Order: sequence, then structure tokens, then C-alpha cells
Amino acid sequence: MNIKEYISSGIVESYVLGLADATEKAEFESMCIAHDEVRIARNEFEILLEQLAFSNLNKPPEELQGRIFAEIETEISKSSSRVIPFSKNINTEEQADKAVKYLRMMRLAVAASLILFIASAILNLYFFNRSKNYLALYNNLVASQQQMAASNKVLEARLQIFQNDLAILKDPQLTIVKLPGTNVPTSPARNSLATVYWNQGNKEVYLLVNNMPQPAPGKQYQLWALVDGKPVDAGVFDTGTESSFVKMKNIPNAQAFAITLENTGGSSSPTMEQMYVLGNVKT
Amino acid sequence: MCGYGNQNILSLYLDHNYTEFLGTTPTYTESELVMMLKGRDNQSFSYLYNNYSAALYTIVQQIIPDQELANDVLQEVFINIWRKIESYDQSKGRLFTWMLNIARNASIDFLRSKAYQNSKKNQQFPETQELDIARHSTQLNTDNIGLKKILLKLKAESRVLIDLAYFKGYTHEEIAEIEEIPLGTVKTRIRTALIQLREHLK
Repeated sequence: MNIKEYISSGIVESYVLGLADATEKAEFESMCIAHDEVRIARNEFEILLEQLAFSNLNKPPEELQGRIFAEIETEISKSSSRVIPFSKNINTEEQADKAVKYLRMMRLAVAASLILFIASAILNLYFFNRSKNYLALYNNLVASQQQMAASNKVLEARLQIFQNDLAILKDPQLTIVKLPGTNVPTSPARNSLATVYWNQGNKEVYLLVNNMPQPAPGKQYQLWALVDGKPVDAGVFDTGTESSFVKMKNIPNAQAFAITLENTGGSSSPTMEQMYVLGNVKT
Repeated sequence: MCGYGNQNILSLYLDHNYTEFLGTTPTYTESELVMMLKGRDNQSFSYLYNNYSAALYTIVQQIIPDQELANDVLQEVFINIWRKIESYDQSKGRLFTWMLNIARNASIDFLRSKAYQNSKKNQQFPETQELDIARHSTQLNTDNIGLKKILLKLKAESRVLIDLAYFKGYTHEEIAEIEEIPLGTVKTRIRTALIQLREHLK
């Protein structure tokens, strides 16, 4: 439906005369806002109706005006007398309101402080537990640090040994003499092996036990240097010592080295039946 | 210059008081009147009564022909205007249309009230003759004026429907029942009658 059809549908008259239903009224009011033509048509009909009403006038009786104005006066005084107790009510209501507000504030304050207290207790507990954890962690750390320091000392000691060993090996004057059990047909353990590191410069002798059986109690191995066919004592040693090299007695000159098993402390001459290993110095 | 301007304002002020002193009411535009009424200005209400009471009284009488009862209803109408002026929205129509509808609604409410229905019944009984006489003496014929006069120009079929809807305040559903015609027909016939009504108004 276009606007012209809408205007001429009778809705304008229906609305102005108060005959339109609620839906029609709402629709018409929004049409008036949206379309000037509708509003103009409404205004035209309103003016027509107003002119018609003013064309025949029956004046109400004179005394009616007085009655109506008196009625409105009482209406005004009723409404103004209503105002006074109402304002009193407002005052007491305001006070009550204030009290209620104050109580609410107090309640809020109590609630807030309770919440803060609980929160701080929880935080205390939390931090206490954390500090406990930290203390445990700290102790662990100290322990492991001490452990590390200890093992570091061990490693340092070992490193010292290896450095000493390396210094021995690095010396260009060093002669390495292998003493295998296979060189001795009568050896009680022919698979035995020992190595002599002999520095011909400073005459120092070091012994490395590669593989030799553990001596019986009261027995000890003894190294001999063979100088021009004669055995020279080079010292006793124990197998299983931590040090890789065992320092023996200095030997200025030798053609071969041999190890025999002797009574603890060593002998002045080797027990030939108990010779385990033997090796010649290569020239 | 300055003195001259002040004198002008003073003379305007005097003029205003002068007209009041003479008892002549100034004319207001509708917007001015509405503003003053909403401001609870007593003088504007007197102005309203002086200018509109007769037109509204005629409307009331077309629905309530009895003069005494129409007086009561007119009183109700002006009190309603005084009470409801705050809710009057100028964008939805003219002030007179608004007051006209208040007058029509108050009249129809009264027409359909138990008090009025009882008084009509009482009319038929002889013991209330006193009231009856008073009423007869003040009965006014309003059938030949205003909207009712225009209605006479319509076909009888249309006239009955407008009379029932506008002057008796029946809903479309009630009219369909009274006239024993379908609701849709009531609606179309009323619309058609309203379009014809406007043509005759022009």
C-alpha cells in the first residue's frame, strides 16, 4: 500500500476520532513520524473537526465554571497537602536510608577485613611452605656442593697422579720394558704381565702391574734388575694399589728386569722357582 | 539608546498589565497554551475554559443529552484535562483533538456506567418522577448539530455504525454482535463511512 492509499483508507479519521485499535494507533503514529503527508492529512482532518465543533456551540451554564474551578482548587490543595506528610516521610526515609547505608558500609568493611585476614593467612601459609621448600632445596644444594667439592678433590688427586704419570711417560729418556710371564717357562702364572718404565737419564724406575695374581698372605712381589748377570734388588711392591705407577728403587744400569714372589719385606737374592715374569731391556 | 530600550520593555510590561486590568484575555498560540497549562498556570486554565468549554460541552451533550448529567460529565472532563495535561503529546495531534477525545471518553464511560444505566431504568418508574421532570425540562436536542448533522447525510446503514462506534462507544466486536454482521464487514463499513464523513465535512 502506498502512502496516498494509506491516507485515503479512512485510518486518519479513525485515528483522530479515537476509533482505531491499539495496533492501528501505533502504526499510524509511526507513519506520522515517517511521512509528512500522513501528518499533514491528520492535521487537516483535525482542523475540519475542530471547525465543525466550533460551528455549533452550546454554552454550559454560568455556574458550572465556578463549580469546576472550585473542584480544581480542592484538587490542588489535596495534592499540596499530600506533599507535606510525603516530604516528612522522605526525611525519615532518608534517615533510614542513611542508617541502612551505614550498616551496609559496616557490613562491607567487616566482610572486606575478614577477606583480607583470610587472604593474608593463606599467603603466610603459602610463603611459609615455600620458604620451607627453599630451605630444603638450599640444604640439598649445600650437600651436593660439598659432594661435588669432595669428588673434585678426588678428581684433583687423580689428575695429579695422571699428570705425574704423564710427566714420566713424556720424558724422552724413558725406556719401556715389558715383562711377560711367557718369558719364564717355570713361571707359576705364565699369563702374568708387568711393565717397567725406566728413565735412563735420572735412573728412576716405575712399575705398572698389568696382570699378576694376588700374592698369598705373608708374601710380596719383588722387582730385580739384572746387571751383568747379577740380580740387584729394586724394591718390593703390592698389587692392587690405586696408583698406576709404583715408584721403585733407582737403577743406574740394567740389561733385564724380573719379578719374583718373596716373603714380605723382600729377600737379598731372588727365589728362582718363584720368578713370575722377565723382560730384556732393548738396546 | 539604552534608556530607549528599557522604556520599550517597561511599556510592554505596562501593556500586559493593562490588558489584564481591563479583563481582556490575550490570545495564545496552541503551543504557548500547552506550555502554560503544563506549567500549572491558573490563568491559562481560565483561558482554556473560556475558549473550549462550549465546544466540549456540545460534544458531551451529543452523547449525554441530559443537561444535569452533561454538566457533571463536563466537570469530569476539565478535571481530567487538568490532571492529564502532563501526558499530552503535541506531536500526536492538536490540543483540541486531545480534549475532544477526553470529552468523548468521559461521556461514553458515564454512558456505560452502572449509575447511568440505573438512572435510565429509574426513568421508567413513577416514584422517580421528580428527577424525571427535571431531566425532561433540560433535555437538549443535539441531533441537528456538529458531527451528528454530518451523519444525517450518510446512508442509514453507515450512520448506524458510526453512531454505535463513535457516540455509543461500542467496540467493533460488540457492533458485529448487535448488528449481526461479520466483524470484517463492520470494519470495512466503518472505514467507508469515515471516508464519506470527511467528504461531507469538506
